[in-house]
Amino acid sequence: MSGIGKYFKLNMNSATRQTTGGACSCGNTSGGCGSHSADTSEPAPIKSSCGCGSDSGGCESYNKPEMGDQEFFEAAVDASIGQETKKDGFDQVFEVKMDRRTAFRKLTASLMIGAGAVSTSCSVTSGEESKEKAQIDWEEQFKGNYKLMTDEERNATVNRLVRSYELRKKENITMKSTDALKDVLFGYAFNISKCQGYMDCVNACVEENNQDRNSQMQYIRIHEMKDGEGFKFNEADDNYYHEVPAEGHFYMGTQCFHCDNPPCVDVCPVQATWREDDGLVVIDYDWCVGCRYCMAACPYDGRRFNWSTPEVPEEEINKNQHYLGNRMRKKGVMEKCTFCVQRSRSGKDPACVEACPTGARIFGNLLDPNSTIRWVLANKKVFRLKEDLGTEPKFWYFMD
Amino acid sequence: MSRQNYIFLLSCIFIFMLFSCKHGEGEYHSLTDKIEEKSKDYHGIPVSSEPYIDDLKTVEITEGEHTFLIPERKSQITSYACTECHSKPLEQMKGSDFKKAHWDIGLVHANKVTMNCATCHNGNNMDNLQSLTGNSIDFNRSYKLCSQCHSQQFEDWKGGAHGKNIGGWADPRAAMTCVNCHNPHKPHIESRWPSRFNTQKVKERE
Repeated sequence: MSGIGKYFKLNMNSATRQTTGGACSCGNTSGGCGSHSADTSEPAPIKSSCGCGSDSGGCESYNKPEMGDQEFFEAAVDASIGQETKKDGFDQVFEVKMDRRTAFRKLTASLMIGAGAVSTSCSVTSGEESKEKAQIDWEEQFKGNYKLMTDEERNATVNRLVRSYELRKKENITMKSTDALKDVLFGYAFNISKCQGYMDCVNACVEENNQDRNSQMQYIRIHEMKDGEGFKFNEADDNYYHEVPAEGHFYMGTQCFHCDNPPCVDVCPVQATWREDDGLVVIDYDWCVGCRYCMAACPYDGRRFNWSTPEVPEEEINKNQHYLGNRMRKKGVMEKCTFCVQRSRSGKDPACVEACPTGARIFGNLLDPNSTIRWVLANKKVFRLKEDLGTEPKFWYFMD
Repeated sequence: MSRQNYIFLLSCIFIFMLFSCKHGEGEYHSLTDKIEEKSKDYHGIPVSSEPYIDDLKTVEITEGEHTFLIPERKSQITSYACTECHSKPLEQMKGSDFKKAHWDIGLVHANKVTMNCATCHNGNNMDNLQSLTGNSIDFNRSYKLCSQCHSQQFEDWKGGAHGKNIGGWADPRAAMTCVNCHNPHKPHIESRWPSRFNTQKVKERE
């Protein structure tokens, strides 16, 4: 049992049963489980034994040699991850046979919040509201990955988040969990001869997506580049403050390009980021562990990390939110441009497109042959950044 | 080596190649191929951008193969209809008998040789614009006037590469018309200051 096998067991995304890594074990400790008791007289296959954590029967299973190889394998897989692939929510955590180490990890992670929740919900002195708050916290803590949720579960978590906000801030927000539309693939075109560097798009983006005001996080960067020298990002200035457009300069914007073959998705160890069917690369903020692998993998500097808890003045919060979009993030998770999923999935232009006074930003459905984005791709000389990487960004640049 | 071994070896290689050539990364060679293939059976989508242009008065125009909405103009011009004041042909209104008007309009468009007021306005019919050939053009379709000279911009605008989209990306398409951004009497857009400056970024990079 290699160490890496343990991580595969936590792969809750796989729809099919894992075929690698014969079974679970009880960790590397040799004395922990009977199966590893250095009984050299036993034949080799014993090494693929079964979990000894929560189910004691698992450990004894190797004592029954009459079990066929295939049968044994099936049983072993089923015991380790079989149920995890089918279940969600509470069940994903509680109804799974796991080894002691994983169990301890999951328990300690939830201990603090759990203890708090229990003490408040059992207390006779605390009010109904704090009980409900604790109940919501508890359920949020143990919810599954958004990608795996059924529609009901998605609605449930969205309702919990809305209610939780209401309880805490006494304000109402609306949150959507709109799915990708069929026959839609979002694409973006940017006219570098039109952009004048006004940064109205950055402003609109910060307001629309509830980005942290303290750290001044911005999804969009506008680079001021010298005419006639091509794209030189190392010499470009992305934080200018003078009258624009400056003589002898041109401007170009970068943000998340929503690659069709996104490297950030491949490297995520917990599958907290993925590509949706309409081409948007999104993040489940509640599933992200903040390892920043995706940030390192992105060749376009498209991702941002929350070093501190994002803070937005209450009156400036955009209350039209989406689970995968502009809802309030927490400390230690990744975030990035989502093409304003809360707007775009209901047919509206992203905030940057709406704010740009020059018309340099063009957004549309790549699968609609009559869309403006398709006209631009067909009739203008377009290019993308680092095309040779094969990431297939859905963000094109062009000139008049 | 016997012939049988050769055949076995070859078939092994063949089978190996058969599997090894199958890439797992998808059925399309490139994004462009994918877009082309997937858009073949496109039959529209259930969302519309209509709610986002609801409060805007628009007119539908068709130019070539493009049909879209542009903002209605006449109701936005404060002193339209012009004939409310311009009750007589322009020649008869010159002089001190009439109230002075339009002192704020200075023509800074092309040069005096190419353009004057009469290039676009008709002194005998102030309610409509006129083309270079003297044909009448409605104020709501003023882009026809601009496109007489700015033909490249006109092409781009029709397709969607020039100008600003209004509301949403879905159908129906609505776009700003020329005069929504450019002042026809003074089309140059002045430089200005950026709308924000990131002070945190300066600190981080110190």
